[in-house]
Amino acid sequence: MSETLYAILHMTLFPGGLFALTLGLFYKALDRRVEARLQRRVGPPLIQPWLDIAKLCTKETLIPRTACKSVFLAAPVVGFAGMAVCAAFIPVPGVFGGLYNMGDLLVLFYLLPIPAIAMMLGGSASSSPFGAVGFSREMLLMLAYEMPLLMILLAVAMLIGSQSGGTAEFSLLKIIDWQLAEGSLGFHPAMIPALVAYLMFLPGTMGVVPFDIPEAETEIIEGPLLEYGGPLLALYQMGSALKTFVVLGLGVALFFPGLISDYWPVNLLWFLAKCVGLMLVSLTLVKSATGRFRIDQAFRFYVTVPTALALCSLLLVWAL
Amino acid sequence: MSLDTLLKKLSVRSPWLFRINAGSCNGCDVELATTACIPRYDVERFGCRYCGSPRHADIVLITGPLTTRVRDRVLTVWNEIPEPKVTVAVGICPISGGVFREGYSIEGPISRHIPVDVNVPGCPPRPQAILEGVVLAKQIWLKKLGLEV
Repeated sequence: MSETLYAILHMTLFPGGLFALTLGLFYKALDRRVEARLQRRVGPPLIQPWLDIAKLCTKETLIPRTACKSVFLAAPVVGFAGMAVCAAFIPVPGVFGGLYNMGDLLVLFYLLPIPAIAMMLGGSASSSPFGAVGFSREMLLMLAYEMPLLMILLAVAMLIGSQSGGTAEFSLLKIIDWQLAEGSLGFHPAMIPALVAYLMFLPGTMGVVPFDIPEAETEIIEGPLLEYGGPLLALYQMGSALKTFVVLGLGVALFFPGLISDYWPVNLLWFLAKCVGLMLVSLTLVKSATGRFRIDQAFRFYVTVPTALALCSLLLVWAL
Repeated sequence: MSLDTLLKKLSVRSPWLFRINAGSCNGCDVELATTACIPRYDVERFGCRYCGSPRHADIVLITGPLTTRVRDRVLTVWNEIPEPKVTVAVGICPISGGVFREGYSIEGPISRHIPVDVNVPGCPPRPQAILEGVVLAKQIWLKKLGLEV
C-alpha cells in the first residue's frame, strides 16, 4: 500500500510531475534566453513558457471537420502522460536514487519515443496534408536516432555489468552507484565516443534546429501541430518540457552523476547546473549556429556519425 | 481577481505573430522577418514568437495591397485564425493601396474586407514603428478580452 503511495508521489510531485515540469519549462526559457543573447538580442523573460501555456489555455480549441476526432484529442494526452511517467524514473544523484532498482533503463528506452509517436498519430488524425508530411518525416527521423540511443545504453550497461561481474546492468540505481564509487563514465576513455553520440542524439530527439524537420514551420507550417491550438497545444508544449527534463536527466545519470557534497540541496543545484550545461552544449549552441537539414541529410547523418561513435564505444567495452 | 481574469492578463504577454502576404512587394516582409524584428530590434522580448500555423496565431500582420488573385486565400487564412485575434496592417499598401492604388488588379484597401485594428504606415515602416504597432495590438487584445488597459 505505502509503496503504491510512494510511486504516486514520485509521479506527481518529485522527481516526476510538478518538479519535472517546472524544471523542464525553466530549461526551455533559459534555452530561448541564451539563444537570444548569442544572437545579440534581449530575449523573452524567464517565465515566458508559463505565459505561453496560460495564453493557450484561454484560446478556443478548433477541431477540423474531417479529422478523426477521438485520436486527434487523445494524442496530446498520451504524449504528455508517457513523458510524465518517464520523468518519475529519472534519478537525481545524491537526492533520489530511482523508482525501481532493476531494468528501469529498458523501461526508459521504451517510453522515450512516446511523444514522437503521439505527435505522428495526432498529425495523421488531423487530416491535413502537412500533418501527413510531418508524420513521414518524424517516422524516418525516429528510426534514425533510436539506433544510436540503443547502442549507447547497451555500451553503458555492458561496461558496468562486466566491471561488476555480471553481463549487463540495466538498473540506473546501480549504474549511478558504480560511477560514484569508480568515477564518472563521461571521463572513461571507452565511453567518450558514446558521450559524443549522446550529445548528437539530443537535438534529434528534442526536434530542435537543425533537426526540426518534422515540424519545420517555414516549409510545412509546423506539420503535425498545424491543426492543434489552445489547451491541446499547451499539452504538447508541456510534454516537450518534460521530455527535455528526461533526456537531460538521463544524460547526467549515464555520464556525469558525480557529487560535490553530502548535503541534498547542494546536490540538487549541482544536478541542475549539469543539466543546464548539457543543454547549452548540445541544444542551444547548435541551434543558434545552424540552419535546418533536409530529411535525407539528417537520416544519413544519424545512421553514420552517431551510430559509428556508439558502435565504437560498444566494441571498446567488449574488447576491454 | 479571479483565475479567469488572471489568465487573461497573463495571456497578452505571449502574443504569437502570424504573417499574411497579400500581394506585397516583399519590402515589408523583409522588415518583418529578417532585418527589423528578429535580430536587432527583437520582438521576442515582448514574448512574441512567429508561428507557422494560422491556428496558433494571436496577432496577424498583413502586408501588401490585396490583389485580386490572393483575395480569397487571404480571407480563408484569416478566417482560420481562432478568436480573439488582432489584425495589424503593416506598410502603406494594405492601408490605402500605396503606389498600387486604383490599379486594375487591386482589391484593397484591406479594411474593406477585414476589420483592421492597427495601421502601421510606411514604405516600408521603420522597425520601431512595427514594434509599436505590435505593442498597440497587445493593448487592443486586452480590450477584446474584456479587460481595461
